[in-house]
Amino acid sequence: MIVVATNLTYFLANSFLDPRANYLQLRPPRSPEQISRSLAQYNLSPDAPLLDRWWHWITGIVLHWDWGSSPVGESVNSQIAFRMGISAQLLLLSLILSTVIGVGLGVYTASRQYRFADRFHQGLSIAALNIHPAVAGLAVVLLAIALNQTLGTTLLFVAGAQSPTVSGFWPLVVDRIQHLVLPTLSLTVISYAGYHLLQRSLLLDNINSDYVRMARAKGLTRQEAIRRHGLRTSLIPVATSIAFAVPALFTGAVITETIFAWEGMGRYLVTTISKNDIHGVVAVAAFGALMTAIGAILADIAVVALDPRVRVTSS
Amino acid sequence: MTINLPGVPLTVADVESKPPPAEERMPRRGRRLSRRRLYLRRFLRNRGAVAGLVILVLLILFALLGSLLTPYTYTDVDFTSLTMPPSPEHVLGTNGTGNDTYAQAVHGLRRSLVIALAVSLLTTVISAFVGAAAAYFGGTAEKLILGIVHFLLVVPAFLILALVSQEAGGDWKVLIVVLTAFGWMLNARVVWSLSTSLREREYVQAARFMGVGSVRIVLRHLIPNIGSLLIVTFTIGVVAIVTLETALSFIGFGVQLPDVSLGTMLSDGANTISSAPWLFYFPAALLTLLTVSMALIGDGLRDALDPTSRSGGRA
Repeated sequence: MIVVATNLTYFLANSFLDPRANYLQLRPPRSPEQISRSLAQYNLSPDAPLLDRWWHWITGIVLHWDWGSSPVGESVNSQIAFRMGISAQLLLLSLILSTVIGVGLGVYTASRQYRFADRFHQGLSIAALNIHPAVAGLAVVLLAIALNQTLGTTLLFVAGAQSPTVSGFWPLVVDRIQHLVLPTLSLTVISYAGYHLLQRSLLLDNINSDYVRMARAKGLTRQEAIRRHGLRTSLIPVATSIAFAVPALFTGAVITETIFAWEGMGRYLVTTISKNDIHGVVAVAAFGALMTAIGAILADIAVVALDPRVRVTSS
Repeated sequence: MTINLPGVPLTVADVESKPPPAEERMPRRGRRLSRRRLYLRRFLRNRGAVAGLVILVLLILFALLGSLLTPYTYTDVDFTSLTMPPSPEHVLGTNGTGNDTYAQAVHGLRRSLVIALAVSLLTTVISAFVGAAAAYFGGTAEKLILGIVHFLLVVPAFLILALVSQEAGGDWKVLIVVLTAFGWMLNARVVWSLSTSLREREYVQAARFMGVGSVRIVLRHLIPNIGSLLIVTFTIGVVAIVTLETALSFIGFGVQLPDVSLGTMLSDGANTISSAPWLFYFPAALLTLLTVSMALIGDGLRDALDPTSRSGGRA
């Protein structure tokens, strides 16, 4: 399926994007032949038949793992390798944070159903769930600017992944963290609420079931019975949804990366499209499909790990 | 193995089966409610949903009538005040090219609302018809339709949306078509899975043996019986489309200048967030109110229309 989706994107990108446009604004102006010639070295010349180009492209990937290059000659491979690390920093941290906060709040509110804390957090989560990523990101930026102004120093940076002038190990770590806090915060705000509401409703379904009552009868405290018996069963669907959220976070991060000027994968998608970089677009699409596949595998692993009824038999 | 206890009355859990007209006409001891009254009462009991409805009505009124309160239109340029903070002359200030923010916000809200409502309506209609038809016809047609749906679900939709809408140059009508074309699949699959159980019901069998045409059966017998699901899908679809459209416009691929939507306004505000924050506040507030109110309405409708609803008390 990944292969089919990637190839389809290749043809679609070829029909919608025209790399010649990148050369039209150059001074001195170039003739169409010159443009075609310089594009031909990157296997992007519109004069060559599409199938020839496709064959060249696909053999490059299969034989040399070479995903081609952009219309100005940058290698897609090196771009992706660089940006993957940046995206991973951002996404992994916020994924972990939103999972912990979401599940924790779900357990907390489910054991206090319909009390004030439950109502309050539910209202907050419904609002947070429906806040637009751009609004959340910009609101965080505004708060950070206000904070920096009251402190008089730049405590939290609102743009970029790191400062270019910092060197040394510990200063670099501190600098990274200063840049990481805000985008992580804004991504967490928009993603924790879904887990909270899901966890709450699932746990409420389980909390009155026989085995939780049985655990209470055995002498466990209410908290412990919920945590050890109720939570485990209700975590399964939540884990599945978290695993599938990995690719969704990836597109959600487009906005966040744009606001905070992080040159990650989401930003790469936007720049490749606006710069008519066919090979870059296709590589991003393949990356997204791969992430979906990985998410599906992770979901299966999570179910096996959590659900004692599912056994992996080694025959 | 059911035991009919004499004291237990039969519950009409099945909302799908229409009550006989005789009962509808004469209310028994004033206690039996018509279905519409029942839904209305359940909906009104949900305070959040009512608040959402009020906010939404206010927003729609604002989008329709807001332009009467200002002498400017969204394209008017006031060269004497560029990037001015709110003043008596421009209630919400102006942006870098001298457009009145209030007039732009009214227009942007209208644009976003029209796109979201149109796309959500179209996707709901298409998914209902396709899903129900697939379930009703069965066999090869079913396999074919499901194959197409699954294939379209794998395709990287966000990327294609960005590609196509960029090519369209920001025309909102094209945007509606594109968003619809890639938005109906998931709902169609849900409708299909529900309709597969409906097609085995007696009234569908009866209609078939009476010689009613297949299109008529799909339209008259299958689709009305999943109507409550479709209404909820519609409201939740509006939230999703508003978010998607503003995200696309924000990164520059959706609605484009000179046209204005809430997404382009947000991206305007993002560029000048520290020097001209008033460009951000108002569109952000409108967008958040819109999505949150629609989500609350969707929740309330789901509780009201759900036959197994536990929204409490006397129905």
